[in-house]
Amino acid sequence: MKTEAAEIDPVTLEVVRSALVAYADEMAAALCATAYNMMIFEVRDYCVGIVGTDIGIVAQNTGGLPIFLADLGAAIQGGVAEYGLGGFDEGDVVVSNDPVVCGQHLNNVVVFTPFVYDGVVRAFPAVRAHWVDIGGSSRGFGSMAAREIYEEGLQICGIKVYKKGEPNDEALRLIRDNIRFPDSSFGDLRGQIAACRLGERRLRELYDRWGPDTVAACIAASWDHDERLARAAISRLPDGDYEAESFLDHDYVDRDRKVPVPVKVTIAGETMTIDLSGLPPQVKGPINSGVSGGIAAARVAFKCVTLPHAPVTEGGFRPLSVVLPPGTFLSAQKPAALGGWSLSLPTVIDTILRALAPALPERITAGHKGDMSGYALYGHDAERGRPFINMNIFGGGWGAKPHGDGESAVVSVCQGNVRNAPVEVQEAYYPVFIEHHELRTDSGGPGRERGGLGVELAVRGKQDLFFNSQFQRTRMPPWGLAGGHEAAPNEAFVVEQDGGKRNVVQVSDHRVSPSELVVMRTGGGGGFGAPHERAADRVAEDVRRGYVSVEAAKAAYGVVVDPETFAVDDEATRTLRGMHDAANAGEATDAD
Amino acid sequence: MRLAVDIGGTFTDLTAVDETGSVFHAKRLTTNDDHSRGVAQCADEAGVDLANAERFLHGSTIAINTVIQRDGAATALITTSGFRDVYEIGRSNRPDAYNLLFERPVPLVPREWRFEVDERLDAKGCILKPLDEAAVRGVAARLADSDIEAVAIVLLHAYANPAHEIRVGEILAEACPGVHVSMSHAILREFREYERTSTTVLNAYVAPVVDRYLGQIEAMLSRSEFDRAFLVMQSNGGAMSVVQARDRPVATMESGPVAGVIGAGRLGQLIGHPNVIAFDMGGTTAKTSLVIDGDAPVVTGYHIGGPVTGHPMMLPVVDIVEIGAGGGSIAWIDPAGALKVGPQSAGASPGPVCYGLGGSEPTVTDANLVLGRLRPDGFLGGRMTLDGDAAESAIREKIADPLGLSVEAAARGILTVVDTRMSLAVREVSVAKGHDARDFALVASGGAGPLHAVSVARELSIPKVIVPSFPGTFSAHGMLLADLRHDYVQTMVSPLRDVDPATLNDGYRALERDGVETLATEGLGDDDAVLTRSMDLRYQGQEYTLPVPVPAGALDTPAVERIARTFHDVHRARYAQSAPGESIELVNLRLRAVGKIAGTMATGTAGRELRAREIRERTVVFGEDGPIACPLIERSSLGLGDLVEGPALIEEPVSTTVLHPGTVARVADCDALVIEVDTA
Repeated sequence: MKTEAAEIDPVTLEVVRSALVAYADEMAAALCATAYNMMIFEVRDYCVGIVGTDIGIVAQNTGGLPIFLADLGAAIQGGVAEYGLGGFDEGDVVVSNDPVVCGQHLNNVVVFTPFVYDGVVRAFPAVRAHWVDIGGSSRGFGSMAAREIYEEGLQICGIKVYKKGEPNDEALRLIRDNIRFPDSSFGDLRGQIAACRLGERRLRELYDRWGPDTVAACIAASWDHDERLARAAISRLPDGDYEAESFLDHDYVDRDRKVPVPVKVTIAGETMTIDLSGLPPQVKGPINSGVSGGIAAARVAFKCVTLPHAPVTEGGFRPLSVVLPPGTFLSAQKPAALGGWSLSLPTVIDTILRALAPALPERITAGHKGDMSGYALYGHDAERGRPFINMNIFGGGWGAKPHGDGESAVVSVCQGNVRNAPVEVQEAYYPVFIEHHELRTDSGGPGRERGGLGVELAVRGKQDLFFNSQFQRTRMPPWGLAGGHEAAPNEAFVVEQDGGKRNVVQVSDHRVSPSELVVMRTGGGGGFGAPHERAADRVAEDVRRGYVSVEAAKAAYGVVVDPETFAVDDEATRTLRGMHDAANAGEATDAD
Repeated sequence: MRLAVDIGGTFTDLTAVDETGSVFHAKRLTTNDDHSRGVAQCADEAGVDLANAERFLHGSTIAINTVIQRDGAATALITTSGFRDVYEIGRSNRPDAYNLLFERPVPLVPREWRFEVDERLDAKGCILKPLDEAAVRGVAARLADSDIEAVAIVLLHAYANPAHEIRVGEILAEACPGVHVSMSHAILREFREYERTSTTVLNAYVAPVVDRYLGQIEAMLSRSEFDRAFLVMQSNGGAMSVVQARDRPVATMESGPVAGVIGAGRLGQLIGHPNVIAFDMGGTTAKTSLVIDGDAPVVTGYHIGGPVTGHPMMLPVVDIVEIGAGGGSIAWIDPAGALKVGPQSAGASPGPVCYGLGGSEPTVTDANLVLGRLRPDGFLGGRMTLDGDAAESAIREKIADPLGLSVEAAARGILTVVDTRMSLAVREVSVAKGHDARDFALVASGGAGPLHAVSVARELSIPKVIVPSFPGTFSAHGMLLADLRHDYVQTMVSPLRDVDPATLNDGYRALERDGVETLATEGLGDDDAVLTRSMDLRYQGQEYTLPVPVPAGALDTPAVERIARTFHDVHRARYAQSAPGESIELVNLRLRAVGKIAGTMATGTAGRELRAREIRERTVVFGEDGPIACPLIERSSLGLGDLVEGPALIEEPVSTTVLHPGTVARVADCDALVIEVDTA
């Protein structure tokens, strides 16, 4: 879009751009308030935006899910390819979870409508929301056993479920007949449509007020504005090539083989290139995503280091190039399974940030829990006489900051405003009993700045039920930076009646009896700086609070703390730390 | 005489109305060492005798500032075993999603002061594990031996059965006399353990502080031989007795701002505009709320200290949107060259550049001065002189030159940007909720409200602006118009059609008993209590609920069916969709108990003689046409029915009303200015 920004005064620009973001937020609030599934109303797994006819993001709701960053356009692009811009009428409603263009698991269903003004399509209000079920072999989210998209549910590729305001009953019936909780999903569909209609109404008011030319010019100018801001932010970073590598546990098929994640970031003047071309080819298991997944990961990392507080528009991403040839596991081709499409993204983003740590030594945190999943418990509720599915996500540790401890019990870098499900809500609705939900002592990576703590949650069924989990990063713990230590990784196990344990970090349809307790522990965040540089009184304070055990204070930090009074034994600490320093000096000499 | 005092962070305001309808006002600096001193000074300044007052109403920002400044009581928390960290884990969300260095709310109770006791209920309130009283005694002994001043007790599912919380409370009261105890079920009978914990902890955390300062005011009142009702404003827009307030101070968090909303609603009703949007603009923030038929909308819950690092508080609160835009808001240019205003504020110190107190960043007040909308020698009734040259050079240097604009255009730009931000806030409470702003009048209060109200109204096509008399102390005036009010809730999750009407009737009767008893302790007879029932309903499978009105009296099956039909209508009206074929779920019974005690709004004109009209001429910039000459009129010279055509300025000691060209102001009842805004 060629800009006519020069003709727009800064005041009108501010009025129009504020209004567009307010509209997206208003659409999101309406969706959330009417939603039928916990993934929307509690977990906030949705994204609302206004997309231009050139498929760029005009405005996106604030506080949404980061991995939905400016990728709503893909679904609309598919619709435009199908119908052509001239193929939309006022009153149309298009539904899409097209795996080729959206590149995400099929549960993420996009609804969009054309905004027609003076007979011309001007923009598309769009809402993506996680439906609780989309058919296929698994409930809640994709089966870890899937090998092809066809096993994962119904594919809806740009279908008009309303034409000129009239429902397309046959298409709607086809969808209804192929999903497990149709009342819930059709309730959400209603909310998605109402939100899009609201977006159309607001856009009409805006166009009435300012006219199409001024609105278009404001959008163009706001993109240029965000582009300038992003370029200015990048230009402050030192030029160079920055690389890092990490790995995922496995691809859910070949469980002995790790999946490497090599990334390279190049900063040159005002531009940044994130090169993901080293990623391995698409894998057999369901942790693939379409190219939009890889781009989303790059965009999240890019936004974190450029404009973390600015509203999302297409313009802010113009100085970013992503190198991602087709056929890697983040640019997978049909019929790759996508059910766990997002599972790798926290690790990919974390790795890009790690690569950038030398360029932004004051702003990059150590590795975080690196995992976005939670659990799904499902079955037939004997007491209430209906099928149920109880989904929840977890907080874990955030990496330590260069000048401060990491935050505890927060969702991954991909999840933003996503939240956990209250214990009282889960117990009120589902036949489950939660024994505890607490911070996990010693899970934070030791460092001069300590990593945040993960959590432990233990749940028991009141009846037989099934358990799904998708933990990642159980083999590569969250890393430390600048001499900080790594944190405890994610783990999950079932405590059997006889006290035995079985590992359940990645299971689908796993049967659990009421005599068994499912224990899930999320990882901590890595430490920053050498643990021996942490002031002894800060270590003692952590021991007093139970964040760090007396044993770990001694072993990892070299601080001897009295378990009753929490006083530091200065002399013992000096001796212990002295021995450590001497050993380090020795190593350093050896290395020379 | 009825008296109201609003204690804010900077000023303490007093409004009093006597039997003849005469109004008395005072504004003094807040005295933080002993708040009762500022109150006494106000009474002196206004010339009122507290001994003659029949009612003393009070609101303040003291509780909320205690939380924001984290200087509340040393507080402990007692929870069910396995759940002491719920308070720290929270909901695990990161609203500041892309900020790697984000910070979470810091718990008001650190982990070493959070204790667990063995006990367990299920979601229906059945006891799965009895309370380990020995363990409770152990905790109590530790607390008795510490400097802890307040304890919050939050046990899982206590909203369904408070027995264990009550028992823990009894043991604590015995072992730790003098320590404040807050029990979650007594604060909020709703599920969601984190939010209930946070609300209860907030109550405990501020209780000793609020208790102290209310005690000081009580002592001062008693020294002044005042022996009548002392009432405190609540965030829900009603008042309660000072005894209740000392017990449930968390309910008073927004007690200052809500009074302005009550006042706006009542004023609107009195002068024939029952639907109004309250708009209050002070030095650092603007607040707005929408009132229909005089009723301020109440929502359940918000975050004290902001949504990112704030603490959730789930009690009903008047739905106020607050943004960082005030007279002191600083104008700046972002790195890409866009003009921004706020949220940073120069505050009262150093203040705007024109105050000459060391401020160097141009503010909204500076822009108003440069455009001639404020008079350099008329500020605060002439008690302060403003430096126009300093304001102009700051705008030139920081805004106009960098943007290549004239000083005048830059100043206009600053006002347009700040007016737009405030319009969006007004929009959020009105248009964004499905109300057509054209059906409302904007009631402008606060020192800066009348300066900006017409612009904000125009932006949203609001046809009328109302400026009350004494807009600077309007919140205190609003308190005089509040009723006693208590809100009760009981969670009762069930499909609506499966609920036995008898269960509903029992539930409401229990809530009504609580309401009537509480009002009785405040001196109200049964007949003066107005009880209003509602239900929180949703479609089966939804989470968020909508409140639906419930008729009084015994409910039977047809009555429940009527409630269901109302729900479909309410859902459609609010969200433009409904599903009459689907099953409806009941979540909460709610009851509002109101004791009608409100006074009427003072006319403000009783016993007042109009000042002689003296019209001076000013040169003011309104739009792109540059400066134009317009009259400056003293508000005290205007009487009922007088008309003033814009362009004009109407000046009074703490505020100036800007009448843009095309507007007409008329002095209406209650001495209010009603401005017809030409919105074409």
